[in-house]
Amino acid sequence: MKFQALAALVEMELKKLIRQPTNLFLNLLFPAVLTIVFIFAFADPELGMSINSVVPGLIVYAVIFLIMTIAQSFSSEKQEGLLKRLNTTPMTSAEFMGSQIITNMLISIVQVAIVFTLAYFLGFRPDSGIGGILLALPVTAIFALSSVGLGLITATVSKTPEAATGISFVFILPQMFFGTFIPITSTTQQIATFVPSFYLLDALRMIFEGNWMKTAFFLDLSAISIVSILVVIIGIILFEKYGST
Amino acid sequence: MSADIKGILEGLNKKELFEIANLNRISIPNNWSKSLIVELLALNVTIDSIQKIKAKPSEPRIKSEGASIIIIKDLVKKFENITAVDNLSLEILEGELFSLLGPNGAGKTTTINILNGIMKPTKGTANIAGFDVTKNLDEVKKIIGLCPQEAAVFKFLNARENIELFGNLHSVSKKELEERTDTLLELLGLEEASKRKAGSYSGGMLRKLNLIIALISNPKIAFLDEPTVGMDARARRKTWEFIGSLKAENKTIVLTTHYIEEAEALSDRVGIIDYGKLVELGTPKELMERHKAKNLEEVFLKITGRRIMEGI
Repeated sequence: MKFQALAALVEMELKKLIRQPTNLFLNLLFPAVLTIVFIFAFADPELGMSINSVVPGLIVYAVIFLIMTIAQSFSSEKQEGLLKRLNTTPMTSAEFMGSQIITNMLISIVQVAIVFTLAYFLGFRPDSGIGGILLALPVTAIFALSSVGLGLITATVSKTPEAATGISFVFILPQMFFGTFIPITSTTQQIATFVPSFYLLDALRMIFEGNWMKTAFFLDLSAISIVSILVVIIGIILFEKYGST
Repeated sequence: MSADIKGILEGLNKKELFEIANLNRISIPNNWSKSLIVELLALNVTIDSIQKIKAKPSEPRIKSEGASIIIIKDLVKKFENITAVDNLSLEILEGELFSLLGPNGAGKTTTINILNGIMKPTKGTANIAGFDVTKNLDEVKKIIGLCPQEAAVFKFLNARENIELFGNLHSVSKKELEERTDTLLELLGLEEASKRKAGSYSGGMLRKLNLIIALISNPKIAFLDEPTVGMDARARRKTWEFIGSLKAENKTIVLTTHYIEEAEALSDRVGIIDYGKLVELGTPKELMERHKAKNLEEVFLKITGRRIMEGI
């Protein structure tokens, strides 16, 4: 893997994030808006939810929407012949996918920072203190891998960015309903165990409650890591075989 | 009407008259007689535009010897029931400018895509500088540059950023990248707009950027797939001059085009492809002599029974 190529691709991806209004909104502004609106709407003792229980869900919410932006971006580059052109350069697959993974992990870290900062001003005070916040960053970044993988799977089956937007909800909605702050019943709990975001939500809650030294946290972390790595590998294989041109 | 201009126009052949019309954005039907074209042009053009055409290099460089750098053998590409490339065999010499001519759907782009590793052939082989494109694609990618038919550039990046991105992917050193970027931007007249986002460019500017990206790594072989399509006559002519100048750098250039005068003016050799088959091959002069034709358009018409621009 050549650093020169990898760095150039990461730089391009970051410029895409900053310069494209849709990307900027979905990746950075959306988590901010979501944090403010949802904390005001749901962090209410009368609803049985505190700000501390809403914040982990907001982080998950932001990161699962990466699926949509990644899928849109790949589909649009495929449609414009850019992926085809990139494939004619000596750039390796590892450099290209590596740049996607690095960029999206960075974005997820920025998203977590945005949610924390805004939530802090709105009264969020985790029991874990600053240590918990710092631990939440890499855990969320690992989970972002699954969003990259699901984004790639979505782009593989999507012919246009518009189709990618629609299809991405196949992966977003279950994670939204079963792995954010929407209350889970004993029945839906069974379904939730198959949803990756459920484990991130659980892990983040344990971190913020100061319970991250417990076995249950490490089980969640293992589940997040294994599922995310598997999903990203499947996404890369499928996209390279069927979706890149 | 100036009698001088009319006199000069009368001394030109029909191909040159069409070039002057193109340069001045005047549309002339193909079936018009020479005298009618002269009458129309004499009313609408200046002496400068006539001199530009007359000043251009007239005879293409002929190259009949040298080592083959691209060897295509019995190449077939099928898409379900359609045969896009049908048993194509062809050798392209090192340092030559080779034009692949053909109407839409003739198999030109499919051939280019196979040579660039974008598509795999159904049958047959293609070797570039001794490397099989299906087996040693990594080696092939190091020595080629592709200017695709669509302007494939990142619209949110400016011209410089686009060029530098592709230069970095080709591992071009920082110093060389800066120098080549400056040179190419200047040669193609994009330096003033180089810091503007490509999304704000006109179609012609995007085409120029598309071409620069293909050449930033100083490739040994450049594949230019319809590089001037969508450009106005002036930009097209400037780009032709630029492409012609690449021959001095001993680059092998494979050009596909609908503009037959482009192929005629620039090419060392021309291959005419129709329904996926190579139907004629030779220098423009050889082809015109062989088919007793005044220009390549006529050669094309005699071989395929169609005009190249039909259906575009």
